[in-house]
Amino acid sequence: MSAPAKPRYRIVIVGGGIVGLFTSYHLAKAGAGPILVLERGFLSSGASGRNGGGVRQQWETRATIRLAREAVQEYRRFGREFGYNPWFRQGGYLFLAETRTEIARLHSVHETVRSEGLPSRELAPEEVREIAPAISPEGIVGGTFLDSDGTLYPFPVLWAVYEKARSLGVEVALGVEALGIVRDRGRVAGVATPSGTIGADVVVNAAGGWSAELSRRAGLPVENTPTRHEILATEPVKPCLDPMVIRLSDGLYVSQTMRGELVGGRSMPHAPGTEGGMSTSPEFLPSMARSLVRLIPRAASLGVLRAWSGYYDDTPDGLPVIGEDPRLPGFVHANGFGGHGFMLAPASTRRVAKAALGEAIDLDPGAFGPARFLDPDRRAVPEHLQPG
Amino acid sequence: MPDGGERSVRWKGRPLDVRPGESLARALARARRPLLTRSIRYHRPRAPACGIGHCTSCLVRVEGRPNVRACRYEPENGERIETENGWPSTGFDLLALVDPIFPGGIDTLHGFRRPAFATPLFQRVVRRLAGFGALADGAPPDPTLAPELRTTDLLVIGGGRSARAFVEALGPRTPPPLLLERGRLDRPIPGAEVRERTTAVFLPRPASGGASFAVLAIEEGGGALQITARAVVVAVGGYDATLWFAGSDRPGVYPADGAEALGPSAGEPPFRRAVVVGGGDRVAALLGAWADRIEAVVGPGPVGPEVAKRASEAGVPIYPRTLLLEARGRRRVAAVRLAARGGGRRFTVACDAVVLAHRRLPNPQLLFQAGAAMEWRGGTGAYYPRLGPGLATTVPGLFAIGEAAGFEGAASTESGRALAAALTGATVPPLPDRVRAEGPSELAGYYAELVGSLPRRAKTIACACEDVLLRELAECHELGYRGIEVAKRYTGLGTGLYQGRYCVPEAILLLSAWEGRPPPEVGFITQRPPVVPAPLGALAGLARPEAE
Ligand SMILES: Cc1cc2nc3c(=O)[nH]c(=O)nc-3n(C[C@H](O)[C@H](O)[C@H](O)COP(=O)(O)OP(=O)(O)OC[C@H]3O[C@@H](n4cnc5c(N)ncnc54)[C@H](O)[C@@H]3O)c2cc1C
Ligand code: FES
Repeated sequence: MSAPAKPRYRIVIVGGGIVGLFTSYHLAKAGAGPILVLERGFLSSGASGRNGGGVRQQWETRATIRLAREAVQEYRRFGREFGYNPWFRQGGYLFLAETRTEIARLHSVHETVRSEGLPSRELAPEEVREIAPAISPEGIVGGTFLDSDGTLYPFPVLWAVYEKARSLGVEVALGVEALGIVRDRGRVAGVATPSGTIGADVVVNAAGGWSAELSRRAGLPVENTPTRHEILATEPVKPCLDPMVIRLSDGLYVSQTMRGELVGGRSMPHAPGTEGGMSTSPEFLPSMARSLVRLIPRAASLGVLRAWSGYYDDTPDGLPVIGEDPRLPGFVHANGFGGHGFMLAPASTRRVAKAALGEAIDLDPGAFGPARFLDPDRRAVPEHLQPG
Repeated sequence: MPDGGERSVRWKGRPLDVRPGESLARALARARRPLLTRSIRYHRPRAPACGIGHCTSCLVRVEGRPNVRACRYEPENGERIETENGWPSTGFDLLALVDPIFPGGIDTLHGFRRPAFATPLFQRVVRRLAGFGALADGAPPDPTLAPELRTTDLLVIGGGRSARAFVEALGPRTPPPLLLERGRLDRPIPGAEVRERTTAVFLPRPASGGASFAVLAIEEGGGALQITARAVVVAVGGYDATLWFAGSDRPGVYPADGAEALGPSAGEPPFRRAVVVGGGDRVAALLGAWADRIEAVVGPGPVGPEVAKRASEAGVPIYPRTLLLEARGRRRVAAVRLAARGGGRRFTVACDAVVLAHRRLPNPQLLFQAGAAMEWRGGTGAYYPRLGPGLATTVPGLFAIGEAAGFEGAASTESGRALAAALTGATVPPLPDRVRAEGPSELAGYYAELVGSLPRRAKTIACACEDVLLRELAECHELGYRGIEVAKRYTGLGTGLYQGRYCVPEAILLLSAWEGRPPPEVGFITQRPPVVPAPLGALAGLARPEAE
């Protein structure tokens, strides 16, 4: 437990995951004044410490492609700027199709990605084999590949941003929960915690899978829903898989970490909600093992070391929510990142910080702004390419 | 075993005889052919240490399958077995140069960030150092392995003295309880259907599964069982802890389990002259069996009267309250460096092995996994299940006896009998004494003192599965990170092949001393299933929960 030092801050960020911490860093760098991050668990206890580390720029929507492209550039520089090595390895993302319909879907993504200036490639089955020889060719009819996508190791990124933000004066209170938002004259005035109210001009909701809960505590119904996602790691073996591989049919994603483990998950029929806890469901291990040995039969003898789960913060259109809530001045959203909040963080949080300072942001409000859920005419073009 | 007879395998291309019931590690020891393996990051030389399948220092490649534990593996006739993770060989491994070149370790958290153009090169090199064996050469025709389906009223996990006492006291039952034992039994247990060389893990319980337990049991021979059990008795015993010092990962350092399991035969130890660490019953027993092979007894704390008596009878010197600073030697231990605690004199004792017998720990993994409430007991410095009357844990239908439940020595047997009485409705005798609950562990202070005295030029490996250095744990603490969960994620400690079995108990004690708070507040890393490596093929073959 570390209690906040001051009775009031200019900005209080709720959630000490990658989104909250990175936002605090951008704010401190901009000289925004006293900033507090409230985290109810330990550092890395949310999705930011439980994810697969995938970073990709292949998306259906241009808005996401642009944000991701910028984030990739940031992660390439990250090690030199932040003092920690994120081991961002650009082994590419390989999407696999097993039907004509899936090929058509990948084709349309490929066209959009290329038109944004990224050299994605469409692959015949033989070319898939060249890129990932360990994969069984059975059933694969084609794929797409972008070699500048990749994977990183989330923990050093978290530590780096945490330490940098603190060195710039950000306070991080661990083990402190935001119980509610205090209003005064129609705008945000502070955050209620178990040990009293902390004053704030602005509150940023970076609570990840619990963002809807926090918004509701602020009296704001939202459409975000937490969904449980499970993931496992195998014993470490010598390099056998260069790219992150995604199979559309079962939503399987798997990559090999720098330490040699195969890490991945697949889509599961979990009901929304955070009741499932952080452990493994009875269905996951068998389903995932079946998916993985179908992809890489030679992995059948590999031991699974551990499986765990975390929460995606999903939105109906598959796009994040960034910006001030029109219903409550001073309440800024930085949530709804689904399965992709880590990769987008360096770029997305730059905009969150601007929104928290009341500055204009260069993002399509139709795609990312919270107002899109309040007005049926402003619905965004959805992003459906969710797996991995 | 199909034939039960002598078999011959090819070890590194040359023939090796293996006796029935003998592990590959023991067969090699008998043939005086060393088994050298390499660690994951620094390619440090390693040799079998624990002898019970808990460490990473005996991994070999069998018929093109990676990461098989030689101490558990009983080879089939004609199999080809190779070492792994060394280039060109484990004996002469060029990659092992990273160890002496980086005496302070490779800082993968902060290092290798410049120059930008070298990033792909750094990544290739680091990837090449990581991993143990390579992916299997081929795949079985059907990579999913359908386990044998079993249903039982009563499942007993573990076949040690408490389980034996339990089954005997239970008397004949039809059908008999199913009993799974990871290793081999020293003698049969009548009254139970026994499956040897079979490791059990709990599967998450289906929400609709009612009160029964789902267990996956993995057989060393390659098969698997999927068991539905109404009641489970956890009697998984304990193991000898490790101790941190410079070179504690060196070949020749054994937890006492390993000293017992890895010699050329059951009665003969795998060394000529050993320094034994500890001061309690376990050391007294070792002195009883192998006094002529023991060079000295070193106590991290005080040494008990029985040890003192036996040592003086055998003329073995005793060094109580002594820091073990370093195990020296090239490939294998040749000497240990010691220092009297409280800043006393430093001295060296020549030996070819170090046997760690100072602390027995329970195997708490299954109990954590099953969701039993656990409590810290300072006497040993470990977690045990909270027990109600009749040895019931807080999970209905789940019982714990023996060392895993905190009953040591004779109390272990009594706990097995007491459970049998409770389950058959007989009068339950009063529960025997458990490991002391109160009291800070002697070792917490030991470690706090040790850290300042360790040699700088030699690596102290805190987590041998992942080659995490003690220095890295210290750095994590100095940067202000608190608690074992964060330390694990910061350093990688406890995330390796054996999921923190040896390193986490030590880390909890040290962090407790550094953070100035009791161990339970430092925490315990979540036991994420399956805890024991379970092959993907066996998991893929599990019957779907809906089908149950
Ligand atoms: C299994 C899995 C795999 C994933 N794979 C990838 C991937 O490959 N690539 C990728 O980019 N992303 C991936 N993601 C998604 C990514 O992890 C998340 O989008 C990202 O970490 C979100 O960061 P965050 O800071 O918003 O949330 P979190 O990291 O969850 O942080 C939110 C924090 O808020 C705290 N909190 C909540 N409510 C309160 C409160 N009331 N008061 C105080 N504190 C509170 C929580 O304790 C938590 O620590 C994956 C996620 C999961 C679960
Ligand atoms: S000696 Fe085989 S696992 Fe430890």
